[in-house]
Amino acid sequence: MSTDGRFTFIVAGEAGHGVRRAGNVAADLCSGMGRYVFQMDDYQSLIRGGHNFSVITSAPQPVLSQFLRADLVVALDKRSVGLHRDHLSTDGTLVYNSDAVSDAPEGAVGLPLSSLAKDYPRPDLRLGVASIVVLLVATGFSRDEAADFIRRQYARDVENNVKYGLSVYDAAVQILQGRYHLARGDAPATMLAGNEAIALGAYAGGLDMYFAYPMTPSSSILHFLAARSEDLGVVTVHPESEVAVMNMAVGAASVGARAAVGSSGGGFALMEEGFSLAGMSETPVLCILSSRPGPSTGVPTYTAQGDLGFALNQGHGEFPRIVASPGSIGEAYELAAELMGLAWAFQTPAILLTEKHLSESRMTVQLPSDLPEIPEPLMHEGSAAEYRRYENTESGVSPLRFPPSDALIKWTSYEHDESGITTEAADIIAMMQEKRLRKRKGLIEKLRRMRTVNRYGSSRNVVVTYGSTAMSVREAVAIGKLDVQVVQPVYLEPFPEWEFEQLSGSGVIVVEQSCEAQLAALLKHRTGVSVRNSITQYDGRPFDPEELAARLKEVLANG
Amino acid sequence: MDELITYAENTWCPGCGNFGILTAFTQAIERLEADGLARKDLAIVAGIGQHGKIFDYLKLNGFYALHGRSLATAQGMKLANPGLKIVVFVGDGDSYGEGVAHLVFAAKRNADLTVIVHNNGAYGLTTGQVTPTSRKGFRGPSTPRGSIEEPFNPLSLMLASGATFVARGYPVKLNHLTDLFVWAVQHEGFSVVDVLQPCVTFNNTYELYNNSVTELKVTPETFEDSMAAARRTDRLLIGVIRDVSAEPHHRQLLGDRRPAEDRRAGSDRMAAIRKTFG
Ligand SMILES: Cc1ncc(C[n+]2csc(CCOP(=O)(O)OP(=O)(O)O)c2C)c(N)n1
Ligand code: SF4
Repeated sequence: MSTDGRFTFIVAGEAGHGVRRAGNVAADLCSGMGRYVFQMDDYQSLIRGGHNFSVITSAPQPVLSQFLRADLVVALDKRSVGLHRDHLSTDGTLVYNSDAVSDAPEGAVGLPLSSLAKDYPRPDLRLGVASIVVLLVATGFSRDEAADFIRRQYARDVENNVKYGLSVYDAAVQILQGRYHLARGDAPATMLAGNEAIALGAYAGGLDMYFAYPMTPSSSILHFLAARSEDLGVVTVHPESEVAVMNMAVGAASVGARAAVGSSGGGFALMEEGFSLAGMSETPVLCILSSRPGPSTGVPTYTAQGDLGFALNQGHGEFPRIVASPGSIGEAYELAAELMGLAWAFQTPAILLTEKHLSESRMTVQLPSDLPEIPEPLMHEGSAAEYRRYENTESGVSPLRFPPSDALIKWTSYEHDESGITTEAADIIAMMQEKRLRKRKGLIEKLRRMRTVNRYGSSRNVVVTYGSTAMSVREAVAIGKLDVQVVQPVYLEPFPEWEFEQLSGSGVIVVEQSCEAQLAALLKHRTGVSVRNSITQYDGRPFDPEELAARLKEVLANG
Repeated sequence: MDELITYAENTWCPGCGNFGILTAFTQAIERLEADGLARKDLAIVAGIGQHGKIFDYLKLNGFYALHGRSLATAQGMKLANPGLKIVVFVGDGDSYGEGVAHLVFAAKRNADLTVIVHNNGAYGLTTGQVTPTSRKGFRGPSTPRGSIEEPFNPLSLMLASGATFVARGYPVKLNHLTDLFVWAVQHEGFSVVDVLQPCVTFNNTYELYNNSVTELKVTPETFEDSMAAARRTDRLLIGVIRDVSAEPHHRQLLGDRRPAEDRRAGSDRMAAIRKTFG
C-alpha cells in the first residue's frame, strides 16, 4: 500500500464470472468505509469469455484515477494471472483460482475457488462473490461481518452465496487475514458513474425527454433514465435509429420539451444532419457524445479522445454550437445542467463531449445541494398576432412561443424569413446568417462571465489537458509531487481564448488521448500558446497515473 | 379557405395534383373545425420536395423538417405534446425512399399522426428522378435507359407494418379525398393516405388514373381482404382500405401526461435527485 493509505484492488476474469458486479460491490465496500473511491472497468465487447477486470482504487483523501499497480489482485482465470502478475505494489498480493491456474508466480496465494463453487447452481457466476470475500478477509473483516456483507450485496440466491462465501473465507483466512488495513475516511457516501452524473445533471437542468439508440459507452445514460423514468418523470424513447433520435428530439424541443440525445461516434455521425437542422431551425438540443476509439465501429468498450475535431465541426453549414467536456464526474453533473441552460438561452445545439473513461467509471462525488442556476429561455410576451418565430433581434435570439397558441409558429430547415417561411431572397439570406451568428457573440459574452477553464496549482510549468484525461493528469501530478499547473479548458467551442492570454508565448505540455494530438492543434490554432511537448496515448486505455507521472517528469526535466 | 393560406408565392406547376391535395386538405380542416377541432391544437410537419411546399402555403403551426425525416420530427412533437393533432405531408421519394424506416416504425408503434403521401412516382423537386413507386422502365435523369427495379406497393407495406388506418385517394375526386383526410385525422392512431398525385411535368398520370381509379365503397373487414384490396392491379382502388382501432403509442408511453406542458419544477427535480442519491 502507498504511505498515504491508497489501496488498489483488482478483480479479473472472464465475462460471465461476475467481475463487473464484483467491481461495483468492492467499490461500495470501500465507499461504505468513508473512503474516496475511483472504479474503472476494463471489459470487452462480449457477453461470455474474453478478459475483464475492474480496478478499485480508494483512499482516505480524494482519488481521481484507477491505478494499475495493485495491492490485491484476485485472478479468477489463467489469463488474468498472466496479465496482472507484474502489476503488483511492493507488498501486493496476487490471489488466484488454483483450479484454473497451474503455474502461478512465487508468493501468489492459490485458492480452489471453482471447486468450492461446483456444488452450487451457476458456479462460474459465483467467482465474483469469492473475490469479494478475499477482499473482506484481507482487509480484516470477521467471518460474521463477511457473511453479513455478502447477504446484503448478493441478494439473489442469497443462502448459497453466503455458504459459498464462507467456504472461501475459511480457505483464505489463515493466509490473508488482516493483511491490509484500510483507514476509514469521511468522504461523501455517493458514488456515481459518469453517465449517471450526466443524466442527473441534465435532469437538474430541466431534461424532460431523452432519446437514444444504444451505443456503448453512452448507453448507460439511456438505461439509467429508463429505469428511473417514473421517479424522475423523464420520458425515455429508444426509436429505430440515431437519425430518428435526433429528429425526434428536435421535434420535441420545438413544442417546448427539454430534450437530450446521446451516442458514440458512429451514432453521432448519423445524427449530424439533424444537428445541423437544430442549428438552422434554432432548436435547443443537448447532445451527449461519449467517445470510444475510432474510426468507424472502432473499439466499443474502450476510451479515446479522437472525436474532438468531430465535435467542434459537427453539422454542415455555419451556425453557433456549444461544445464542452467535463474533467470529472462531479463536473459532468454541473456541466450537463449548464449546457442544457445555454442551449435554451441561445436556441442552438450543445454537445457534452466525454469519453468511455468518464462515462463508465464510477467515483465518489458530492452533488451540490442546490439547483444549478439555469437561465430561463426568452419567451414571447407580445400579442399572438405579431409573433414571428425568427424575429430578427439585436441579440439574434428570437422569443419563443409554443403550441397550443393563436400565434403562427413555424419552425423550418429551409432558410427562411422572420415568420419562418422559405426564402431565397439575397438580403434575407444574409440577414438570417448574421442573426444566427450574432448569437455566438452573446454566447461568448456569457462564457466570459462563467468559469470556462479549470486551473489546479500555480506553477509556471503548465500542462493543458481536458475531459477525463484531466483526472489522470491531476492524479499524476499529485502522486508525482510535480511542480506543475494543470489548465483544463471545460469549454471548447466557443473556445475561451481570453483565458489563455496570459500564457501567450509560453510553451505548454499537452496531455490527451488522441493520436493526432487534436487538443494541441486546437491550442495552436486558437491561442498564442505554443506547445513544447505533447503527451498522447491512443491504445484505448486511460493513462495510468504512475506511468503518466514518469512521462511528465521526463518532459519537465528536459524542459 | 383564404384565411388558411399564407403570403408565400405558390410555385407548383399549373395542373399539378398538389393543388387538389391542398384544396381537399383546407376543406377537411374547415369540416374538422366545424366539428370542434381548434386550430391552435393542429400542427403540420412536412418533408422536403414539391409536396413540402404546402408547409409554406398553409397558415398553420408546425415544422418544415428534413428530407425523409418529417415522421421522426412529428413523433417527437406528438410525444412532447400529445394534445396536438399532427398532420405530416410527405413525398414518395421522401417517405417511401429516404425515410422509409421512420414510416414503417411510426406505423408499427401506432403513432397518432396523419400521414399524407403526395405519391407522384417521381422526385419532383430534383427534376424527375425515379422513386420507389415509379413503374419499371421509368425514365428520369438518373435512369436514362429506364429503371430496372420493380416498384413496391406502399399500401401493402403500410398494412404489413401494422398501420391502423390506410387509405388511397385521388385529387381529381376532390370531395372523396376530403372525406379521406377528415377520417384520417379523426382516426386515433397511425393513419396514412397515399394520394395518387399526377405530376404534369415529370410523370403525368392523369389519363392512367382517370381510366383505372375505382372507389372502394366498403372498408374490408379482415387484414387479408385489406391486403387483397391494396394489391389489386386491374383497378386502382381508392377509399379506406383498413380501419381498426388500437391504443396509440403516446398513450401507452405517457398515459395522460404532456411532457412539454407538465414540466417538473426545479425543486421537485432536486428532491427526486436527493431521493435517489443522498
Ligand atoms: C438528405 C437529402 N438528400 C437529398 C435531398 C435533395 N432532395 C430534395 S427533394 C428530393 C426528392 C423529392 O422527391 P419526393 O420526396 O418524391 O417529393 P416531390 O418533390 O416529388 O414532392 C431530394 C432528393 C435533400 N434535400 N436532402
Ligand atoms: S414538378 Fe410535378 S410535382 Fe412538382 S409542382 Fe410540377 S407537377 Fe407538381
